[in-house]
Parts: sequence; C-alpha cells; structure tokens
Amino acid sequence: MKGYLMIDGVLRTGTNEWEIPVGFIPGMRVPGRFFLSEALGRVLEQGAVQQLANVATLPGILDHALAMPDIHWGYGFPIGGVAAFSLDEGIISPGGVGFDINCGVRLFTTPLVFQDVTGRHDLINELFRAVPTGVGAKSSLKVSPRSLDGMMVKGARWAVESGYGLPGDLARCEDGGYMKEADSRFVSAKAKQRGVPQGGTLGSGNHFLEMQVVREIFDPTAAKAFGLSLGQVCCMIHCGSRGLGHQVCTDHLKVLEQATRKYHITLPDRQLACAPLDSPEGKEYFGAMAASANYAWANRQMITHTARQVLSKMFSVDYEEMPLVYDVAHNVAKFEEHMVSGKRQNVCVHRKGATRAFGPEAPDLPPDLAAIGQPVIIPGSMGTSSYVLRGTRTAMNRTFGSTCHGSGRIMSRSQAKKKLSGKEIASDLLREGIIVRAPNENAIADEAPEVYKPSEDVVNIVHEVGISLLVARLSPIGVIKG
Amino acid sequence: MSYEEIPHTADVKIRVHARTLNALFSDACAALMHVLYGSDRKGGYKKVIEISANDHESLLRDFLSEVLFVSEVEGLVFAGADIRMHGTGLTARLDGEPFDRERHSSGTEVKGISYSGLAITHDANGYMLDILFDV
Repeated sequence: MKGYLMIDGVLRTGTNEWEIPVGFIPGMRVPGRFFLSEALGRVLEQGAVQQLANVATLPGILDHALAMPDIHWGYGFPIGGVAAFSLDEGIISPGGVGFDINCGVRLFTTPLVFQDVTGRHDLINELFRAVPTGVGAKSSLKVSPRSLDGMMVKGARWAVESGYGLPGDLARCEDGGYMKEADSRFVSAKAKQRGVPQGGTLGSGNHFLEMQVVREIFDPTAAKAFGLSLGQVCCMIHCGSRGLGHQVCTDHLKVLEQATRKYHITLPDRQLACAPLDSPEGKEYFGAMAASANYAWANRQMITHTARQVLSKMFSVDYEEMPLVYDVAHNVAKFEEHMVSGKRQNVCVHRKGATRAFGPEAPDLPPDLAAIGQPVIIPGSMGTSSYVLRGTRTAMNRTFGSTCHGSGRIMSRSQAKKKLSGKEIASDLLREGIIVRAPNENAIADEAPEVYKPSEDVVNIVHEVGISLLVARLSPIGVIKG
Repeated sequence: MSYEEIPHTADVKIRVHARTLNALFSDACAALMHVLYGSDRKGGYKKVIEISANDHESLLRDFLSEVLFVSEVEGLVFAGADIRMHGTGLTARLDGEPFDRERHSSGTEVKGISYSGLAITHDANGYMLDILFDV
C-alpha cells in the first residue's frame, strides 16, 4: 500500500484513502482526507490538494477537510470538497458552495421502456425546443417578480403549488425542496433581475437534460423502493440557480471579503472569504444562499414539468405516471446534526461538488425510504453511464453524510476544444444510439466523455469505501446540452 | 489585444499581458466576452460603467462582474472597452451590440469571476494578470 506516493507530503492511509497531514501548509487546524484509487490519483492535480489543505485552515472546522473521489482543482474549496464547521467557532464561506448555488440533479421515471423511445429523434428535438438552453436563453414559463419571491421562499413547493408538478415530488427532494432559512431580503435587486427571465432554463456548461434507460440493477430491494426497474426509461436533469445564484455569490463574496478582515481571519485564498456563522454578514449570506438554493429547486421542478408535458403528449402517458426518484443538491451549505468525536451536535456542512448521502433512519428521509437510505444520483459525463446509489451509515460516520457528485474533470476546456471536434463526438455518440442536441459544437467538445474521469471508477470507489452503495446504472439515449 | 487561455481542469483561466493597466482591464473584458459569446462581436451601442474598489484586483473582479451583469440583463455583447482609471476607481466606456442568438451562441455561460489565483503583477515590460472564470 505504501509503494506509491501521490503528491509529496500526502500519506496513504488505506486502499482508497489519503491524508494531508497538519503542517502540509501553515495554519492547518485539522488534517485533510480524500478518497481516491491509486489509478485516479495519477491524474490528481497538486492544486486540488493545495485547495483541500486551504480548507483545513478555516476557523471552527471539525474532524477533517474531506474530498470525494471526483476531487479536482476548482476555486476556494476543491470540487468534491466537504467540510463541517462548529456553530460557535465556525464560519460560512461562499468558497465552499460555489457560484452555482444548489447546482443539483434529479431523476424521474416513466412507464416507457427502451423499445418505446429508441431512435426517436423527434423526442429529443421536442425536448430541446421546449426546454430553453444555452447562453442568453429566456424562459417560456412566465415568472413574475411575485412568483420569484415564491421560488426563493418555498422552492419546489412553490412550483408544485403553481401547477408545475405533483405533490409527491416534494417528499422526494432533499429538504422537501426548500430550505426554511431562506431570506430573500438579502438577495440583491440585481440578483432578482437576473432570476426573473431564467426560471425554467437549463443554462450551459455541464448542465443537461438526459433521457436514460436503466441498464443494470445492483440492489433489487433499493431499486424497487426507488421505483426503478430494468429497461425503464428515465429523465435526468442537471442544473442550478442560474444568474440569481451567481449574482448572490458575487455580491456576498464582496461583503465577506471585508468581513474576513473585520473578524481578523487569515486566509490562504481570497475566494475562501468567510465570516463567523453567527455574524450578521454570515447570517445574511446564509439567508441569501438558501433563497438561491430554493430558486434552484423550483427551477429543476419547472424543467421537470416541461419535460413531463412533452413526454405525456408524445407518448400518451399520464403526467402522474412519471414520479420523481429524488432531487439532490451538490453545491450548498446546510445546518445538520452529526456525530463529532462521539457527540451529536449541530454543524454547518459545506458541500462543494459533493452530494448528501444520508443513511437509513437519518432525518429528512421519506418514511418509505427510511430503511433503505437516501437516493443518491450521480450523473455521468455526456454519453457515459449515470448511477443511482443509496446513502449509508458509513457516510454518516465518516463524511458528514456525503459522497461524490459526478465523474470529475481531467481535461481542461481549452484542451478539449483543441483535441476534439463537437461534430465528430456527436456522430460517434449517434452510432452508439445516443442523440445529442446542443446550442453549438463547442458545448459538445467541452463536455465530451474523454474530458472526465470514468464515472464507473468514481462510483466504484465510493461503493468500496462504503459512503454510498450502488443501486442501478442508467445509460443515455438522448442528451440535451446546455 | 493580448490574452491567452491557460489550462485549468474545471474552469477557464485567462492570462493577460498589457503595457498599461487600462489596456489590461480592457483585454480582460475582451477575454470574458470571448468566452461568453465567441469572436463575432460588433460595436455601435455605448454603455458606461463606473466602479470603485480598495485594490486593483478587487476593482477588476467588480468591473468584470458588472460587465457580466449588464451583458446578461440588458442582452448586450461588447466588442470593446475603453478604460480610464482614476484614484481607486474606473470609468469603462463599453462598445457593443444587442445579443444575437445566431452569431453569439458559440460560447459558454460564465457563472462568476473568482478571487482564486487572481493576481496583477507589474514589471519593466508592463502588466500581467491571471484570472479565473467559473463556467
């Protein structure tokens, strides 16, 4: 096990576990720990390890600065980073949440099977037409300034009450689809101005809507409880809080930069700007962040509605026959109760490119899933498999109930554009039976399968470590890229 | 115009070289517009932005964040920016055109301008800047 040294100063502590000892950089209060195989360790950037060590310097951090196997170089926290902070000494930082607050993913099932939809270009074309995507896209569902407030305060609940979903959807969203701490007073007029025209839009970059087929079931009991069966057609949606959340991060980062000085906090990276959780600046950011998270849940609910309408019309299936499996946030900070050094305590968990993975009997699970654990949805890169897993007690004990969020990039966008042609990738995927629609070719090259770690390798590590367990594998048949 | 994209795994990292601070800011704005909308951008429509901040790095971040905001909510794509620095602030005279889905859809959305690794340095040859856009 000791044979391979990943990065100078990083210690191997298990088959898939590595530790960054205190002292790796000055000011670390706790060690860093990340979960990664030796093979994936070979593509890990020094910058990502440095960023995880930076997180370990933040005031009030508990246990370890953690990173999941999709760890890569981001800004502030590394992508895949998780950290919990004590309520009395801890901080809140937008660097641990990101610009795209509550970027997340959801999956709903349909009564259709693979044979019903294979080769149906018209379905993918119709979804591409109905769901606004890409730069400059505006919503076709009219959001008024008043409904914007509903989105920010009640999240997915607002959307369902407005006719964009089924009541049962809410029980299948993390936190019931909204954070009660939302305070839209701290969302600036600028952020609101950006939020109005974008409700119900997908965005661009790695955001997508994908039609998928369940190809493999690893855990029949859990799959049944989640409503998944072999050959079934599902729809996965990946997007976030759009310009509203981006502006909230931009605005509060500026305030928190000053707060960092005011509260005499020393930081190794300005993007980690933060304030004590109980300070006015910290509370205001938390309220605005929660409002943005709610906007994101409402947004994914609205896109779900549009997709269900298209499917309902084209295949004569009832809207009600397309229930939500689950909706998870992967860029967010939350107050949760966890065991720390043998004691239960309330902490503030930051997840930056990491998914909540609550185990059986954890709070916030719907009664019918209490024995199974929370569904965890891990999107693959374009054209590759996505996975449904379930949360575990090991995650509760070791990672503050967290797991990976995706496959993790290994190639920069500039390299991808130089090396890969969007047109060729789209035709290669079509040969494999996957139809891709995107606003432009770059959007396809940017997100080609080769630029990510194989999603299979990433989920196998979290499964082996036990911080979530494999339930099902889904493969794409049609992709709408943002 | 002198900027290049340097490899960064998740996001877009830009390096800019310029003789003057005004040109450095102007080129950083051009880089941002290029990432968002591609290279086909024309002038004609004018917009003035005023920003002030405590240091050059914050001034640049706040300026680009404001350009991002104006561009999105007013549906404008900028071809150029004439920058005048004064004390702790700047005035930017932006020159652009309305967003056209046909011509301006080759880019990707920028979610924010990061402080991570943001550094403006100065030597005998002029100024250099590294900046990260979250995409």
